[in-house]
Amino acid sequence: MEEIVNNFESLREFLKKMIVDILNLEDVTVQEIDNDSPLFREGLGLDSIDALELVVAIEKTFNIIIADEDVGKKAFASINALAGFIQEGHKQG
Amino acid sequence: MQWVETEEVVRFNEVDEWGMAWYGHYMAWFEIGRMSLLKRFDLLPAQMVELGYIAPVVSLKCDFKHSATCGDRIIIRTTVVKPEIAALKFKFEIFLKENRTLLAHGETTQVLLTTKRKMIYRLTGELESRINNLVSYCLEE
Repeated sequence: MEEIVNNFESLREFLKKMIVDILNLEDVTVQEIDNDSPLFREGLGLDSIDALELVVAIEKTFNIIIADEDVGKKAFASINALAGFIQEGHKQG
Repeated sequence: MQWVETEEVVRFNEVDEWGMAWYGHYMAWFEIGRMSLLKRFDLLPAQMVELGYIAPVVSLKCDFKHSATCGDRIIIRTTVVKPEIAALKFKFEIFLKENRTLLAHGETTQVLLTTKRKMIYRLTGELESRINNLVSYCLEE
């Protein structure tokens, strides 16, 4: 996991796969997820329950806590933002 | 799993043109069941607001199995499912009191927001402890 977190490119791929798997996205492939698009609403179209599922998966996988919507807005702004957020949290943790 | 049971009667104004309990009223009966369960754990809507939270429903499912008619006594059974996420998931069953015929079963999911409409992703403090009490009660054998 350490190796994945430290490599931005592989972390992004890991997160895309995690999103597709955890949220059972049937109509979306890993390749289709854009690095800069928002994950919620107008972007990938995820909803509030999806956010809660992702938060639990991120906490279990990376031991990084996303406490509420304020933090979530930044973390889930895009795949790039999420990867950055996890790398930052990992350094501090 | 523990269920809380509440008894109601199907009223004249709750049946449709065909004499059957109108489907929309099942949601109101779910709500009666939810309140009687929440009340035991000091989680009624007003009590949640006192703690600084609201819990809007974001998902609702209901399957109808049998019809009820005016004057029927019904039993609403309610429980909660262990949440893997910071949400409240209720399950409901509605039976005819007379012979325990299952009329409908369903579930709702509620997310938790602060009273300032900010969604919370993790339970903390007094809210967490009251929800834990509710969940532990419902999971008892």
